[in-house]
Amino acid sequence: MVRALLIRRLWLVQNRIFPTISFLVVLPALLHICITLVMKNILVRSINEIPYESWVFPGIIMIISAVSLFPNLYRDLFDLRIHGKALIPMTLAPISKLYLIAAFLITACLESLVFVVIGIGILGILSNFPLSVTSYFLITVYALAFSAILGNLMITFSLITNRIATYLMTILIMFILILFGSGILVEFEFYSYPIGLILQKFPTSMILSSLRALIFYERFDWFGIALPFVITIAWTWLNAELFRRKLRQ
Amino acid sequence: MEASITLKKVGKLSGDITIFAGLTFGVERGSMVAIVGGNEAGKSTLLKILAGVENPEFGSIFINGLDIVKRRIEIRSQVGYVPNKIDLDPWLTLEQNIRFTGYLFGLNDETISNRLVSYARDLGLVEFLHSPAHSVSSGTLKKTMVLRALIHNPKILLLDDPTAFMDADSNSQTWNLLKSMKGAKTIIYCSQNLIEVENAHDRILVMQEGKIVLDGKLSRLLESFHEYTQFQVEFETLSSKLYKKIILNPKVKNPSKSGKSIHFYGKERKVLFEVINTAAEAILVDFGLKKLGLQDLLEAKFSSAGL
Repeated sequence: MVRALLIRRLWLVQNRIFPTISFLVVLPALLHICITLVMKNILVRSINEIPYESWVFPGIIMIISAVSLFPNLYRDLFDLRIHGKALIPMTLAPISKLYLIAAFLITACLESLVFVVIGIGILGILSNFPLSVTSYFLITVYALAFSAILGNLMITFSLITNRIATYLMTILIMFILILFGSGILVEFEFYSYPIGLILQKFPTSMILSSLRALIFYERFDWFGIALPFVITIAWTWLNAELFRRKLRQ
Repeated sequence: MEASITLKKVGKLSGDITIFAGLTFGVERGSMVAIVGGNEAGKSTLLKILAGVENPEFGSIFINGLDIVKRRIEIRSQVGYVPNKIDLDPWLTLEQNIRFTGYLFGLNDETISNRLVSYARDLGLVEFLHSPAHSVSSGTLKKTMVLRALIHNPKILLLDDPTAFMDADSNSQTWNLLKSMKGAKTIIYCSQNLIEVENAHDRILVMQEGKIVLDGKLSRLLESFHEYTQFQVEFETLSSKLYKKIILNPKVKNPSKSGKSIHFYGKERKVLFEVINTAAEAILVDFGLKKLGLQDLLEAKFSSAGL
């Protein structure tokens, strides 16, 4: 099933090769120009004296991960569902709804991973590779966990929303929340204490905090990575159940 | 013959509306069954339930002895379904749409290629296989959907208006393919094209308001009406007085006036001469008679009150 969906994604990319390549190159460059280059003049170093350009690097990769998930899940799940195209025939294949939803998630995460790896390369070139090789590997692994959580969130929206405007508005709010509420751009210490405390408990924030702890302080946070992992499994199962109920199959 | 599909007191609701209730019938293995009826009769919903797109609220359905709700995943590979609406992925080519379905059913490339080429030739689809779905006509898309439903070689084929949007050539290619499968596959289809049903039928189910009102072969269904003939007589002028005079004849059944013509049914051909006799003072332009068909059978007056 995952193979079938991956081949399908490959066909879709082949059929729209130039927009995809443009997206792959432009997105990291744009994020570097609009965020890193600007913010490093305001926040030169983090609270713990890490150069802002290095500190924000994992966050920028997470943005690439989140943005690259969107076209995949929007097109393959939401758009096909509301327009009655191709999704129902998929549900008639001899596979369970859990497997189908997990396959959608895995495919989206793997495609996002490609964007992440290329994004690391482009951002690395633009910022003279501010981190160690191990750090880039860790960022890639944590980006997968990040995209699994966000992917599940987008799948839920794709299943419960029936109107394009509602869906886009919800996704926009989600992006704003991720951008400004997950510790991607600024540390939680800059927020008021109670707000910072709440935002730190978001699974996406926990993943990013664990990643930074590992890269910059070599401190492995089991809880910060185990909890999102458990949430991903449980959420995938819930999405499968939601999908089954929505289809009435 | 062994039953391929069995429905026992199947009911389906849509909100508070009952689409059908207490539907009970069986379909023999290898037979070709047409479901006909008016809009909102429940034909498409019945096919959706048999295909597993939706669940019934009541009753049980068995496909090759397996309960379709409890053993759904096992049944999936035995059923091929063509829905009424075009549901191909518009941004994939026709071949990619079909191959993708093949992969979902766990088929390897070689098997998919062999079936794809064979069926595409039968359906006249070869030249369109590399075209994106959004760039070809609806008739070609419908043929692609038929091919897609056949790619995993299902034992049961469920087709909702299989020749919708098709031109004459495509229509005959599709029917030739489907008829060649008669006996090997159980084929259930619904169609609004009654001539198509009359030509291809094995068994016909007539649905009305969620109930099966008639069930059998066309010859059997028409048995009770076979002695009737439909007549049409055209006059130079057909006044209301003349029309009323003609319909006073008790042998003239279900008359209707259309411009300068009168349509009616009668048991014996001599009814026509009686009508012409009654209208001796009027100038006769033309007349015709026709054997009754499925269309006549389905007309409301026929199915509910008979002649």
